[in-house]
Amino acid sequence: MQPGSVPSAFRTQIRPALIIFILVTIVTGLLYPLLITGIAQVAFPNEANGNLISHDGSIVGSASIGQPFSSPGYFWGRPSATTPYPYNPEPSGGSNLGPTNPALINAVSARVTALRAADPGNNLPVPVDLVTSSASGLDPDISIAAANYQVGRVAKARDLSETDISWLVDQNTQKPQFWLFGEARVNVLSLNLALDDLAAHRISAPAQKTNLVEQEINSPFPGLSEKDVFQLVLYVVILILFLVPFGRFMAKVYTGEHTILTPVTAPVESWMYRVIGTSPDEEMDWKTFGIALITFNILGIIVVFLVQQVQYLLPLNPAGLGPVPWDLSLNTAVSFATNTNWQAYAGETTLSYLTQMIALTFQNFVSAATGMAVLIALIYGLSRKSTDKIGNFWVLLTRSIIILLPICIIISVILVSQGTIQTFNGPVTVPLLDPVKDSNGILITTQTIPLGPAASQVAIKLLGTNGGGFFNTNSAHPFENPTPFSNFVEILAILLIPVCLCYTYGKLVGSARKGIAILIAMTIIFVPLLGLAIWSETGGNPAFTPLGVDQTAGALQPGGNMEGKEVRFGVPFASMFSIVTTATSCGAVNSMHDSFMPPGGFAQMLMMQFGEVVFGGVGSGLYGMLVFIIIAMFIAGLMVGRTPEYLGKKIEPREMKIATIIIIIPIVLILSGTAIAVLSDVGKSAVLNPGAHGFSEILYAFTSVSQNNGSAFAGLSVNSLFYNIITSVMMAIGRYAPIILTLALAGAFAQKKIVPVSEGTLHDHRPLFIIWLVFVIVIIGALSFLPVLALGPVAEYLHIISGGLFHV
Amino acid sequence: MSDPDTRMNQVSLYKRAVIDAFLKLDPRLMAKNVVMFVVEIGSIITTLLWLQALAGHGEAPAAFIGAISIWLWFTVIFANFAEALAEGRGKAQAESLRKMRQDTEAKKLRDEFRIVKNRMPESSEYAIIPSSNLRKSDLYYVRSGDTIPLDGEIVEGVASVNESAITGESAPVIRESGGDRSAVTGGTVILSDWLIIRVTANPGEGFLDHMISLIEGAKRQKTPNEIALNVLLIGLTAIFIVVCATLWAFSYYSVETAGFGQVITVTTLIALLVCLAPTTIGGLLSAIGIAGMDRLIRRNVITTSGRAIEASGDVDVLLLDKTGTITLGNRQAVELIPVDGDDINQLAEMAQLASLADETPEGRSIVVLVKERYGLRGRSVGANEQMQEMQFIPFSSHTRMSGVNIGPISIRKGAADAIALYMEAEGNSVSPDLKAKVDAISGSGGTPLVVAKDGKAFGVIHLKDVVKGGIKERFSQLRRMGIKTVMITGDNRLTAATIAAEAGVDDFLAEATPESKLRMIRDYQAGGRMVAMTGDGTNDAPALAQADVAVAMNTGTQPAREAANMIDLDSNPTKLIEIVEIGKQLLMTRGALTTFSIANDLAKYFAIIPAAFITTYPALAALNVLGLHNAILSAVIFNALIIVMLIPLALRGVKYKPMTAEEALRNNIIMYGIGGIIAPFIGIKIIDLLLVFMGV
Repeated sequence: MQPGSVPSAFRTQIRPALIIFILVTIVTGLLYPLLITGIAQVAFPNEANGNLISHDGSIVGSASIGQPFSSPGYFWGRPSATTPYPYNPEPSGGSNLGPTNPALINAVSARVTALRAADPGNNLPVPVDLVTSSASGLDPDISIAAANYQVGRVAKARDLSETDISWLVDQNTQKPQFWLFGEARVNVLSLNLALDDLAAHRISAPAQKTNLVEQEINSPFPGLSEKDVFQLVLYVVILILFLVPFGRFMAKVYTGEHTILTPVTAPVESWMYRVIGTSPDEEMDWKTFGIALITFNILGIIVVFLVQQVQYLLPLNPAGLGPVPWDLSLNTAVSFATNTNWQAYAGETTLSYLTQMIALTFQNFVSAATGMAVLIALIYGLSRKSTDKIGNFWVLLTRSIIILLPICIIISVILVSQGTIQTFNGPVTVPLLDPVKDSNGILITTQTIPLGPAASQVAIKLLGTNGGGFFNTNSAHPFENPTPFSNFVEILAILLIPVCLCYTYGKLVGSARKGIAILIAMTIIFVPLLGLAIWSETGGNPAFTPLGVDQTAGALQPGGNMEGKEVRFGVPFASMFSIVTTATSCGAVNSMHDSFMPPGGFAQMLMMQFGEVVFGGVGSGLYGMLVFIIIAMFIAGLMVGRTPEYLGKKIEPREMKIATIIIIIPIVLILSGTAIAVLSDVGKSAVLNPGAHGFSEILYAFTSVSQNNGSAFAGLSVNSLFYNIITSVMMAIGRYAPIILTLALAGAFAQKKIVPVSEGTLHDHRPLFIIWLVFVIVIIGALSFLPVLALGPVAEYLHIISGGLFHV
Repeated sequence: MSDPDTRMNQVSLYKRAVIDAFLKLDPRLMAKNVVMFVVEIGSIITTLLWLQALAGHGEAPAAFIGAISIWLWFTVIFANFAEALAEGRGKAQAESLRKMRQDTEAKKLRDEFRIVKNRMPESSEYAIIPSSNLRKSDLYYVRSGDTIPLDGEIVEGVASVNESAITGESAPVIRESGGDRSAVTGGTVILSDWLIIRVTANPGEGFLDHMISLIEGAKRQKTPNEIALNVLLIGLTAIFIVVCATLWAFSYYSVETAGFGQVITVTTLIALLVCLAPTTIGGLLSAIGIAGMDRLIRRNVITTSGRAIEASGDVDVLLLDKTGTITLGNRQAVELIPVDGDDINQLAEMAQLASLADETPEGRSIVVLVKERYGLRGRSVGANEQMQEMQFIPFSSHTRMSGVNIGPISIRKGAADAIALYMEAEGNSVSPDLKAKVDAISGSGGTPLVVAKDGKAFGVIHLKDVVKGGIKERFSQLRRMGIKTVMITGDNRLTAATIAAEAGVDDFLAEATPESKLRMIRDYQAGGRMVAMTGDGTNDAPALAQADVAVAMNTGTQPAREAANMIDLDSNPTKLIEIVEIGKQLLMTRGALTTFSIANDLAKYFAIIPAAFITTYPALAALNVLGLHNAILSAVIFNALIIVMLIPLALRGVKYKPMTAEEALRNNIIMYGIGGIIAPFIGIKIIDLLLVFMGV
């Protein structure tokens, strides 16, 4: 390469980068949210605007957002960890207390004492959801058991009959959605409003009352009800149904074959390529591809940074939010460009609607599309021979967005129908039914509920495995993930593309079963860790049992470890969400991972530490997996006595160098980042939970940013100069170093000849190789992280089972 | 004479290897092997820590640090010993080969000899030496009946030379000094007259020297596959360095936050690093490579590059010369067919008489057939009275017949057309029956020889290429390994097809010419295949140069040997198959030991982690599943001893038998993957028990 040719290559890519940037911003940052808002406001105006409840003509609250209740005459909701007063939606938040944190045990103990004190005669075990804080701090629901527990107290305080109150509870009970999704639950605000009506004789209980029949939990799996098992099966069936058609669809889009979308997209595509002066036939070598990709991503980081700095000058800022501090802006810009979507900010109190749309929603699309483009380039490299061309970045980027956009529209509309908001209205202030004193002793009488165009962003944050939510508590927030069914759809959206891309891969390399084999290998690693998390969380926290807390799952309550979880999802699907999101590098959460039992946290971290290749991020997961396959193939190839090859491409020193470095990078980042943090005072002081769990918080943080996941043990206060800068660096290296190396790998493979298949070829789709691949992934992950996990979740867990609670 | 397998030599070999193991501790040499270099640095650091502990400021008891340090040194020395032993064995093998090599004799002219036109050297003017002692520009002398020992240029004399060994052309050629016909080729035979020849190239010994330098670790170039594997091993080592270095920080933090316990010691961290680093494969990698070459030498094959051995593991097409590899080299009589109603026993006798003096393999096979099938006792020439009357007619290229005259009776045998001419000369014509039988044999790919008595055809001898026993099974094994066999022959398509079918090869190239061979290799290579071939003639040189693995016969011409990357001293074309197996075995051994090395680490974690952190988190004792008392030391000792225990495997190679890739992978995963997980659990426990028993 001649001196000066790299800068000149950058110069030639700036024009297409700018043009595509502007066009995609318009489409995904403006037109798409506007379209969804339009549909939402017409089809689901109530849901889209926050399920506001009108009482006598005035708005008294949102059915989705809980309110604080502390008077004995009202039903109390879940404890809330928001500040300065409970159920403050600005911003939402969970306690993030770890399962062995004395503060948690003391808080639960105090809540049990308060409940007992308010109702002296009641010696029933206390339902767990009534004494554990919710993930969002805004959980509108409690379990039937929690409501039943309070019937006596409320009846006494209101001087009403217990049967009438029980009837009221029954009337306000929501059954599992479609008889299948989620738990039966009671909306506390609605119940209390109805209670006031009953007390004021605006309504009256009938003489004949029917109560819900208590059903026995009946399932072969501990902690899972029959409907939970059925929901899991349904989940798998739907993914399998999507696998072939959607996988094939994606392959066709990339190769430019005719699809259902072609009539719409073909003219737009060809116009766009003409404008930027390229065409699908004009392919790039790996260096040019990399330069185009980096140019485009740097542009993204700069723009997202600037938009945050000047958002107060721009429209669509109804809450009047000011500029974001520079380090937080930088962190957010890098975070979204790298598909990490680490949320050091609280969306509802930091970013304007316009910032969320044109900066974040847009970045959610292009960072996902970038990952997919790199994957396709690697596939081209592996499947072509004797060429240096690995595809055209602009074309692959555009086609990735063509895949993402229509599905996002469908998902957005489903979410809106469930109550995910999509509105340009500003925050709404509602009166509190039962005013509450804040931590400073000031009486709070109103609750300000932030709104916004959330659904359009939630859809892409999941589909693109980005994970950057509209609100602080992400998919735990009732406005992002309002119902058990929306939760089901969200979990489905996360895995949809990573799963189906396996088939796309198979199609593009000419053997669908190769793709299926990869999918099976991923599943083999995924299922045990999912099982571990569900087992551990449904088992509850042994520290709560001596306090008189009932954590047993039943028809009347979900039970299990409810700290940091929402009633409407229940423990199994909070656990499942957490494993799916960590497996895929999505990083969206519907529960507070910090409050998981140690085995759950262990499973979440390990999912990321396996290299984010078990499903992994869209595109990035599979290209990461292919690197592992190359390593596995190398050793296996030796063992069969041939120079190792994959897809007929010989694996030689150059490929091994690149593949090995790709594997090493995140390991070095995670371990060295954690080491720096635990040795520095600024690093250590951010920890919320004591002991081994606090160590896990730091480890989780660096695991998450290095692997571009974005979820967190959120007790760690990461919005500091130290963490904002160090995590920005880690996210950038963790994303772009493997991308550049993967492109180099694609370039190296593209130039090779293809060795024809013979009896001596080791087939990479047979069970033996699948098991071998799993072994290699697990052993590399285990060898790198077992010691550090031993000092975190393993030490914490062993301490719990050896009977200790504190000082861990 | 040095035989590497005698007890004496074994002992001195081991002595030498032990000394070399220490000499190799030189950091400049160690730096070539990154994994073991890291262990050496660890050994040095722990030694310093031990000295510090002796001085009373140690981070741990001096005895503990000292024990760890000693065993880390042992780890390095064991690995060096493995390499030294492999080198020693390889070198001894090559040396003995050089000495024991039975060369053709050469009449080397003494230095004081002066060339005089047309004067034959006297016997006093030359010395008879092994041809391998000849050097470039030496002069040697050959006379009628001698085999030309080495390639050279004629400086004096004119002679007829039979070059059929090289060219396949049986007619003698004239070679003389000056002009175009002055070059002679090793392996050809002087038929008449004499020559003085100047050696133009050193004998194959150059190859041996080259090979010896390949074996010596210091000069050894790593092969691409070794480099790729090394990259992976260095990568793993780098990961473990980061794991261990950061572990100190994590331990420090844990102690700080838990409020009690002890920060992990540097000694323990180094012990952990060495246990985790892939020392087993890292320590044995070069020994495996050297041993691969050693195994080749043991089969009398020398190579000029380690790369060629690896490439032979990848070969997917074998080009095999029909003659000598697939068939027994010469046609054999398989059947006697009388014509025109003649008696078979009489035919047998005729055939026998006609072949008695025929020393060609075909002639011998006729005698054998007659004896075995028709019970006629062989009569040796000149053994009795009757024989004296016999006048044998040798084969002449003019008549293309041979035979015998017994008194007035003349018996002849020869090719069908030659006999036809003979019969016509005697006034007889070829009968339709004879013609039909001759055609039938030709049609089946065989060669008919017609036997005639006094100008009348008596019958036909069916000569046939006989496929070697077991070769078909060999080829089907190769097919299971994914290797395609192609038979190369100068025969016509019909004959070639018959033999190809009988031998079970996948493809054949009939009427092969140097050009068609070269084209075939290029075609296969363009399809991404790796091609191996053997050759000996000068006209094979281009194809040999093109092939990925090219084995020249030692009897081959110099150009052929130069174009090849291996030389078979036994000149046995079947050896190509063994070479492929050695290549595969070499790669398999590397893969198996890599897997074993990595799988070992799991148990070491269970040994070391609880021991290292138990003071901070007592609950981690639950991970001490083995109930070890000296966990860290036991793990380090196991890690060192396993290298010694695997030296025989590294030198011998993993057990190899032809099987599909799938079977090979399954066997090796079970043996070295699962075995590699289990073995250290058992080994570390046993060592721990022994340590406890010894009161440590």
